[in-house]
Amino acid sequence: MRKGILEFCILSIIKRGEAYPSDIVEEMKAANLNIFEGTLYPLLTRLKNANMLTYRWVESNSGPPRKYFSLTEKGNEFYKELEATWNELANAVNALAHKTTGLAEQENQ
Amino acid sequence: MKKIININFHSRVIPIEESAYEILKQYIESLRKYFANEEGRDEIISDIENRFAELFSDRLKKDTTCITDDDVNATIASMGRPEDFDQEEIPTNTASDQNSNQSQSTSQQTQQAQTYHYSSGRGRLYRNADDKIIGGVCSGLANYFGIDPVVLRIVFVLLFGALFWVYFLLWIVVPSQSLQSHVTKRLYRSADDKIIAGVCGGLSSYFNIDVWIPRLIFVLPLIIVLISGTFHAMWWNWDFGFAPRIISSSLGSTLFISYIILWIAVPVATTSAEKLEMRGERVDLNSIRNTVKEDMENLRTKAEKWGNEFKETAQQFGNRAKEFGQTASGQAKNFTTEAGYAAKRSSNGFFHVIGVLIKAFFLFVGSMIAIALFFTLLSLIFAGVGLMPLKNFLLDGFWENFYAWGVLVLFLGIPVVAFLTWIIRRIMRVRSQSRFLGFTFGTLWVLGLICLICLVASIGTDFKSYRIVSDEIPMTQPAHDRLIVKVSEPSIQFEGFWWIHSDANGWDINDDSLKLSNVKIRVQKSDDAFYHILKIRTSFGRNRKNAEDRAKQLEYDANFKDSVLDIGSGFSINPQNKFRGQQIIMEIQVPENKKIRFDRSVLGKLNPFHVRFYNRSRWNDDDVDIDFERDEYFDWDTNVDYIMNKSGNLESTLKKDSEDDNQNDKTEKNDGYRYKKNNDTITSKKNKDSIKSKARKEQTEETPKNTTEKQTKAIGNNDESEHAFSPVYSLAELI
Repeated sequence: MRKGILEFCILSIIKRGEAYPSDIVEEMKAANLNIFEGTLYPLLTRLKNANMLTYRWVESNSGPPRKYFSLTEKGNEFYKELEATWNELANAVNALAHKTTGLAEQENQ
Repeated sequence: MKKIININFHSRVIPIEESAYEILKQYIESLRKYFANEEGRDEIISDIENRFAELFSDRLKKDTTCITDDDVNATIASMGRPEDFDQEEIPTNTASDQNSNQSQSTSQQTQQAQTYHYSSGRGRLYRNADDKIIGGVCSGLANYFGIDPVVLRIVFVLLFGALFWVYFLLWIVVPSQSLQSHVTKRLYRSADDKIIAGVCGGLSSYFNIDVWIPRLIFVLPLIIVLISGTFHAMWWNWDFGFAPRIISSSLGSTLFISYIILWIAVPVATTSAEKLEMRGERVDLNSIRNTVKEDMENLRTKAEKWGNEFKETAQQFGNRAKEFGQTASGQAKNFTTEAGYAAKRSSNGFFHVIGVLIKAFFLFVGSMIAIALFFTLLSLIFAGVGLMPLKNFLLDGFWENFYAWGVLVLFLGIPVVAFLTWIIRRIMRVRSQSRFLGFTFGTLWVLGLICLICLVASIGTDFKSYRIVSDEIPMTQPAHDRLIVKVSEPSIQFEGFWWIHSDANGWDINDDSLKLSNVKIRVQKSDDAFYHILKIRTSFGRNRKNAEDRAKQLEYDANFKDSVLDIGSGFSINPQNKFRGQQIIMEIQVPENKKIRFDRSVLGKLNPFHVRFYNRSRWNDDDVDIDFERDEYFDWDTNVDYIMNKSGNLESTLKKDSEDDNQNDKTEKNDGYRYKKNNDTITSKKNKDSIKSKARKEQTEETPKNTTEKQTKAIGNNDESEHAFSPVYSLAELI
């Protein structure tokens, strides 16, 4: 999967509210996007180091405290950028995919 | 049936099967390797571990009492293996150049993918990312050619000058890769296989050779000494006798020093892990177990000889050794992996590259200095044997000898030994011992420094007083009013020792005399109408008497015959007299309008030197400036007649007209001597000399008014102390 898209997905999940990594994985699985949890952690760390994300520790009753991630201002902007890029790409792809006229016909016009 | 261990996993106690723990550990290790280039590596791994801990806690809450292999495998499967990460991300790498943010992280990914992707290493040349000191070039090459990296490292260090660029080129051109084929080998001294300190045993296992080879190399000089000694006993003047002597003295001392340095620098292999590293076997649990078993078996066989009681203790000991070995292996592993990551991470990012470059630079400079020092030491030892007689001419009494040895061994030797220790440790990957060594080196060096100060002070007192002894050489007045000066003796040359031929000019040394050509010709206007020749012998000494004695003991020949003054090319000093800045000044007094001529043979044979001791500041006596320079006294053309003019200058009979204007100028300014070339510095020196002789002869001459700065200072100093400008041979020039 293209990485920009993965980031876009993750950010859109976190955007809705604080999220725990395994929740994110579950969410993505539910949306039929299968990723490994192992891929998620480095991504989150990278985004966090780039000041896109912030986290807080939440005590859990079943094990060690959990990290809950949320979006920062910068993250929000980045998300918008990604969204714009994605929409552009999606539109472009869609436009191409939905074209019915052949190349020869276009030239004739 | 499986053993269950309790682990503290992110502050949770988790009971886990031993095999499951191994799987988990390996998995975490693989993650570590995979994220080695990642900035937040520790955080990522900590997060993942945290997740594991959580999942395990969940699991334990349900029905199981401990974590099994299956649990771990299942968790790993959901988490994904590093290989899976790659599959997920690699296809995206190609098309992501547009977005800068994306491309950056993508390139990181590609890099990781590359470094993680293990290969046997054969077939393509890579730099080894796992086993490197600077850039991993040597171990990469070694891996490519299938040889021991140490061999290549030593070659590169020895041929540093030539291979420096090769190394750099390879470093830049060849890509880095993790080549797992390497085995970390460290140099240890062998505890099991030793005669003196186990150096040879360690070397043999390091280079994978039989132990007798290094032993023979170290012992060889001794054997040669013994053999040549026998030959010496049989024939007194056996001509070939010195060839072995060379080998034994220079090579022998080198090897001896090498052995001592290795002894100091290299630790003994005591633990099982260290023994494995010494042999270059991979340090993991199985191999350690094998070694421990070996140890145990050894002990057992011994124990069986002594009986069953001992056997039990031996087994106990074996068990303890096993435990110890295991902890040691853990440490060793941690160390190597940590070092590996540090090195890998350093290749990440521009500043890290600079860091590595700086490190490499210092390492190169360090090794260069070390090699230079080593060869200096060698040549010192080598030359020291030949120049050994010199110390008899320099050092007076037990204490000066003592200090000199202190300087040689401690002040000069210790830094060399320390540097070599450092270099050997770097190359051979010797693990550092305590800091005790550094303190010892420091203390010894300071002792050497104290010796140096004492030596200088001690010899310095011998330069307190300066005396001259002047004799007139009987002569008849030369025919045609022309005196010819020549040096018929061959120039003094140091022939070298053994087979080494030296070009050193101006001095010679053997066991019973030191010959110097510190002879100076001074031409002055005669007070009367006759030529006079004075032989002036000068020397420094502890006091006036001492200096005078030394001066009187100088042997120097100067004969006058048939209008030719034939002076010797040098004088000799005997060992009892010692070298204390002795100099000969031949003063030739030429009457006005009479001629003097220097024969060509004078050229290049006399090498007078100045050494000046003077206090630069008036209020601080300790601030002594020592200065030596070549005395450019001889400024006349040879085979040209010079005429003594009225003002006491020599005028060339050849270029008289062209020099006239210039000469008049100078004569007004400078009432001293004047030579063909009116070089300021030369004139100033001449003036100094003239001042001295003036004082002695009680001539009244005007002090030069227009002088250079240097001259003014010099004259000022001359007023202060009587012997401020005595010409002295520089010791440095001798050596």
